[in-house]
Order: sequence, then structure tokens, then C-alpha cells
Amino acid sequence: MRFTLIKDLKQDITMKPLLNGLLIFMLMYLIADIFVIDTTLGLLVEDIKMTLFGNIDEYIDPIDKSVFLEYIHGEIFFMMMILLTLSTVYARLCSIKNYSIIIINILMLSALLALISLAISYFYAPSFLSVYVLSYFIWHITAFIMALHSLWNLNFATSI
Amino acid sequence: MQQAYKYAVFYFLSFSLLLLGSSLLLFENKIGFSVSSVLEYYLGNEDKFLVQKSWSTILKIILPHIFAFGLFFMVVLHFLLFTKHKTSKLFIRLIYAIFFMGFLEMFSPYFIIMGLEFFAYVKLISFISLELLLLYVFWLLLSSIFER
Repeated sequence: MRFTLIKDLKQDITMKPLLNGLLIFMLMYLIADIFVIDTTLGLLVEDIKMTLFGNIDEYIDPIDKSVFLEYIHGEIFFMMMILLTLSTVYARLCSIKNYSIIIINILMLSALLALISLAISYFYAPSFLSVYVLSYFIWHITAFIMALHSLWNLNFATSI
Repeated sequence: MQQAYKYAVFYFLSFSLLLLGSSLLLFENKIGFSVSSVLEYYLGNEDKFLVQKSWSTILKIILPHIFAFGLFFMVVLHFLLFTKHKTSKLFIRLIYAIFFMGFLEMFSPYFIIMGLEFFAYVKLISFISLELLLLYVFWLLLSSIFER
């Protein structure tokens, strides 16, 4: 997190390409994650319902409890690491008072809601899947915008 | 600490709580919180058609955890550097205790399959201690965030 301590990132010949690389890889991760989720869990409520609870008519078995727990355990770890990194980069590069805090709150709350609503859907109420889908897309879109905004400020802003 | 960073750390701790919660559920679901269930999980049970875990099976489970534990402990503990605890002996003790418990939690299954059944206790105690130590660090960080 050395970038949080450097006064002018544009003048730093090592941190600028490092952060550019990090942000570009984050964008790639966010895009790739959508494709992976689409082929594993599903992106639409009906697809996710079929993955989690199966379908007797189509001979699809429901997902095992331990498999679901392993999936959500891994998701929490990846999400917390990428969101912490992205939000600190964003706070450093786009430090407009209040505005950046609101964006970070939207990102984090929607990501937390996505995880919690998926667990609630699986264990208690499948109707929460619509909340999961909505919050999943909100955190992805917000993270994408944050990464793009950070990239723009890193390369084109007059001073950061 | 800048306000935006405080939010980032606060949310990171919220995710960390979810991570601990999911690990508790996983442990309960796959292994169980009794010595007999730990032994059964690793040594197998002919009546229940459970086979003994091999060296490579255990390695496949702990491999991602070796990296994840190291990264997670480092990230969580380094936040203490931004608090009043940065020069305290408590900080140093927490670093050693958390990494040591993490090591025991991961590698105690090998001793169980080698026939040292006592390590079922070590597995349970290290897992619970690790969760409690991490909760204590979260508490220290949260109290620092909300401190004026």
C-alpha cells in the first residue's frame, strides 16, 4: 500500500505503471467473473435456482451443502481482497470528499448484500435470489466504474 | 487514517467476519466439533464407508489455505500498524500467536493420520483459538476506527 503515501503518483515512474497494471487486471477479473458465474452458478434467478435446488423434471441434482459452503467461503475471500485493494486505490486516486466515500459504501454494501442474500436464499428463502442478482450487478458495475475512474485520474488528471 | 480508508478497513472487517462465519459452518458441516468426529473425518469409519484421508488429499485441502492464511493474517494484522497498538508487545504476541495457530490448524491432520490421535484435540483447539484471536484483532481494529 505504498501508493497511499506517495505525494504525486504521476511523477513516480514505478508506481504509475504498477497501478495501471493492477487496475487493468482488476477490470479483466470483473469481466471474467461474470462469464465464470454465468457458466457455474448462473446469472439469472431461474438459472441460479436450478443450480442451487436442482430440477426433478430435468434430472438435475441440487447442490450439496458442503459444496455451497466451500463456494461461498472462497467467494468471500476473493471479494474481500479485491474490494479492499480497489477501494484503497480509488480513495487515493479519486479523493473527492464525500463522493468517494459514498461510492465505496455502495460498492461494499452491495457486495456484502450479494453474499448474505445468496446464503439466505440457499438456507431459508429462495425469493432472496432476486436481491442477490441485483446486488451482484450493482457491485460489479460500481467496481468497474471505480477502476475506470481511477485509471482515468492516474493517466489524465492534472494532479493526484 | 483518512476517512475513506477507515471505511475500506471497516468493510474489510465485515467481510472477515463473514469469512470466519463461513469457516465455522464448513468445519461443522465437514468435520464436526468433537474429537471423535475429527478422528472419524481423518481416519475414516468402515461402518459409515468413510475412507482414511491420504497425505495428498490433506495437501490438496491445505494448499490454498497456506497462501490464503498468510495473506489474510498479514493484511489484518498490518492494519494494527495504524493504531495505538503499533508499538505494543500485544501486537507482537498476536502476530506470533495467530501465525502459530494457523500453522497448527493446517498441519495437525498429518499427525492424526500418522497415528497421533492426540492431535485431534490440537486441531480443535487451534481452530477455535485462531477464530477467537482473529475476533480479538477485529475488535482492536474496530475500536480504533471508531475512536476519536
